Amino acid sequence: MRYEIRVEGHMSETLTSAFPELEHVVMSGQTILFGSVVDEAHLYGLLARCQSLGLRVLEMRQLPE
Amino acid sequence: MTGLQDNGPESSPRADPQGDPFLRTRFAVPKRPTTFLRRERLVKHLDQALLTPLTMVNGAAGAGKTLLVADWAAGRDRPVAWLTTEASDQGCGMFWAYLLQALRASGVPLPSEVGLPADANRVDHTLLARLAEDLGTRDRPQIVVLDEYDRVTDAEIAEQLEFVLHHAGRGMRLILVTRTEPLLPLHRYRAAGDMTEIRNAELAFTPEEAAALLERHGLRLPVHAAGALVERTRGWAAGLRLCALAAQERPDPETYLKEFEADRTTVADFLLAEVLKRQTPETQDLLLRVSVLERFCPELANALTERTDAGAILAGLHRENAFVEHLGQTWYRLHPLFREILHAHLQMRSPGLEPELHRRAATWLRRFGSLAETLGHGAAAGDWEFTADALVDDLAIGQLFTGLHCDDLAGLFSRMGPEASSTATDLVRASRELSRGDLDRGLAHLRNAGQSLAEERTSAGDDSPGLAAARLSCALLEALAARLTGSPGRAESAAEAAEKLQDEVPAHLLDEHPELTALLLTHLGSTRLWAGHFEDARAALTAAACCSGGASTALPREESLGHLALIDYLNGWLGRAERKARAAMTETERFSLPQASGSGIELLVLAAVAVDRNELRQAQALLDTAADSHHVMRDPVMEAGRAIATARLLLARGDTQAALAAAESAVAADVISPWAKGQTALVASAARLADGLPETAAELLRAVPDDQPACVVAAARAELAAGRPVEAMELLDRVRPEGRNGPAVTVRASLVRAQAADGAGDSATSRRLVAQALHEARRERLRRPFLEAGPWIRPLLGTVSLRELAAGWLTPGTPSPGGLPRPEGPPSTPVVEELSGRERDVLERLAQMMSTEEIAADLYVSVNTVKTHLKSVYRKLGVNRRHDAVRRARELRLLPPRP
Repeated sequence: MRYEIRVEGHMSETLTSAFPELEHVVMSGQTILFGSVVDEAHLYGLLARCQSLGLRVLEMRQLPE
Repeated sequence: MTGLQDNGPESSPRADPQGDPFLRTRFAVPKRPTTFLRRERLVKHLDQALLTPLTMVNGAAGAGKTLLVADWAAGRDRPVAWLTTEASDQGCGMFWAYLLQALRASGVPLPSEVGLPADANRVDHTLLARLAEDLGTRDRPQIVVLDEYDRVTDAEIAEQLEFVLHHAGRGMRLILVTRTEPLLPLHRYRAAGDMTEIRNAELAFTPEEAAALLERHGLRLPVHAAGALVERTRGWAAGLRLCALAAQERPDPETYLKEFEADRTTVADFLLAEVLKRQTPETQDLLLRVSVLERFCPELANALTERTDAGAILAGLHRENAFVEHLGQTWYRLHPLFREILHAHLQMRSPGLEPELHRRAATWLRRFGSLAETLGHGAAAGDWEFTADALVDDLAIGQLFTGLHCDDLAGLFSRMGPEASSTATDLVRASRELSRGDLDRGLAHLRNAGQSLAEERTSAGDDSPGLAAARLSCALLEALAARLTGSPGRAESAAEAAEKLQDEVPAHLLDEHPELTALLLTHLGSTRLWAGHFEDARAALTAAACCSGGASTALPREESLGHLALIDYLNGWLGRAERKARAAMTETERFSLPQASGSGIELLVLAAVAVDRNELRQAQALLDTAADSHHVMRDPVMEAGRAIATARLLLARGDTQAALAAAESAVAADVISPWAKGQTALVASAARLADGLPETAAELLRAVPDDQPACVVAAARAELAAGRPVEAMELLDRVRPEGRNGPAVTVRASLVRAQAADGAGDSATSRRLVAQALHEARRERLRRPFLEAGPWIRPLLGTVSLRELAAGWLTPGTPSPGGLPRPEGPPSTPVVEELSGRERDVLERLAQMMSTEEIAADLYVSVNTVKTHLKSVYRKLGVNRRHDAVRRARELRLLPPRP
């Protein structure tokens, strides 16, 4: 399954490197992380990682295959 | 509220269950930095925590939760138990071990009967009940703070916490500091008004508070400017703090903060990078490197940077309230939020450095720190030779088999690849395979380890001290291998080697790891028992059972008590066997061991005892439990024990074919066990006797040597059944089994003599012997020998003098002490084999005049099954028809009297 996670603010190169399994694009005050998510556990893991990096998650949604 | 920062071993005398120190920093209330701003509105709200059972302080990382609660806790006039949870607490055993220690560390004495979990992944429910009960009796509620509770993701732990909180009633006030909503049933607490909640929005700084905070950093800002900052950071404490640090050294902080407001980068990322680049290169390097550590002191940080300046740098950073928090003594940690971001910076700037940092940390911790942390970093570095070596050198290899860290260690070493190769890695591999029950692989690894040890000894000299720990570990595994293969010679030489080596290894290590000796003695005792050397076995097993050391030795204590119980059973002492088996189970319970960790021998002993008492349902239940729990330790003693108990149960049920098959199920072992062989012959001959083949029965027992009294008694019985009373008496007179054996043997012997006397027409002697047997058997509720004895005993049990002795435990009814007159007529067959639960169900429905089909439908079973049950009911009641079965069951009070 593919997901995208939209976080507030522009993430630096360093910070996006903490999500090596996802691609990212920076736009209008937000950063979108997107890519394949293995399973639910991985999904919650990504959310926890956002939290521990102090990121504010604005939106998370599943992408069509 | 004092002494939390220095809760050394003096204030918490109870040792860690593993002899491994608890990480004391996890019980420390974090210190407030000098720039900490106390916010009265929050303190006032938090005071409500004293009135509600549950309080939740819930907010994002860096929202200021921990410091708020720490500051509040420090202001209490009573001990506050503080625990910073860790991801490694995932096992509930570990969680509760730490929580109990947090209570003790705060200066709250806990009664010893509360106990301690011994297994990382289990905690016994009774332990929680005892804890709740103890807390419930407190005059003043005990305040318990769990910081970073979001790391606890196991729903089971949440349930257990809820249980303790609920049952402690007014005796406990729980404060959870967490980033995420815990899995407790919060809606219930909310609805009942039993919960205090401080959430992210409330934790956010107001413009006034932000201005006050910045002032503490030497920055004066008008409230409107502070308001803009609060908007940009959404009042986020960590963000404001970083703002202050970043702006502090600017000539024009206000303009700088304006720039920050305009920037679009994520707040933490931006501010951290800003503050980081303001630090000296040495400080930056240190901060990035320690991001691989959960906690650190200056010396450990120096080991990672290979410099000597960490003390000054850390003190400076703490003073500035930048990045690091002080944990008391000389220990620090990075703020969790910054640690993650710094870790990302480390990976960016120095890719590939991380394993090396873990290796350096492991090397330092091996000399100065705890074993668990050493192993964790060694594994993270992927240096398995080092990691295995650290475990073996510490004499901690027994921890792979028993105690709190057992599963952690197994999980840690499961990542070890086949390329790692050293004596220590072979020892670890052998332990893992043997503990999992893979004998072939385990023995192969053990052989490799033994060979390389022998080579090292020749090259390094015989008494090289460095090898003593590895050789002792090897001896332990040799003893286990001997037990699993049933080789007494191998066990004895392992024990001899261990005996010599104990003087060569550091004494304090042996003291810290009592499980090593306890396990070795248990393996030795089990092997001796297999070989039939009961006295020697008893010596080793008793020493193991008396071992101190709390949870770490709970498993060997349980196992050795179980083996001692088996010896008692084999000698005919049912009551003693039962007491020891129950004591073994208490050890498991007290320390919350999983049932499956040991061999479960005590369950089999209890089952065999239950069969001798003709408590067949109970026996079946025990055997089922033993089978269900998938015991991994499959040694010959346990296999034989299972075969005996199962065969005896089948025999008692009259299924002689199945009993024979069960008794003769092969047990693989290097030597033949005399008693296992004797017991097999015993079951086989009893089965033949029941089938009406006394000659075959006698033949089977002739092959067994004379030193097994139980077999001699059975042989005498077979001779008697074959019509040779003189030979029977000669056998008994030669061996005199009455001498040193328990009732299970002596009662049977008396009954054989009584039967012979009865056959010779000497009814007085016969009655006297049966009376003696009843006397002895009554205390032990030993019913089986009377049920097996045959028809000759029935009239005797009906006589007035014996009826009283048998009533109440062997035959239905209670002795009538001058009370109601007994029913008229000759007493009918008094002894009835116990009905199974299902048979009773069928019988009850039979009494309600239900048809076979109706009973089947009612019980959700097939008609054929009902017919099978009916047949055995008829057989047991000695009847041939439904009507007679119901009448007979009423007479025997198996059914309520006719309404």
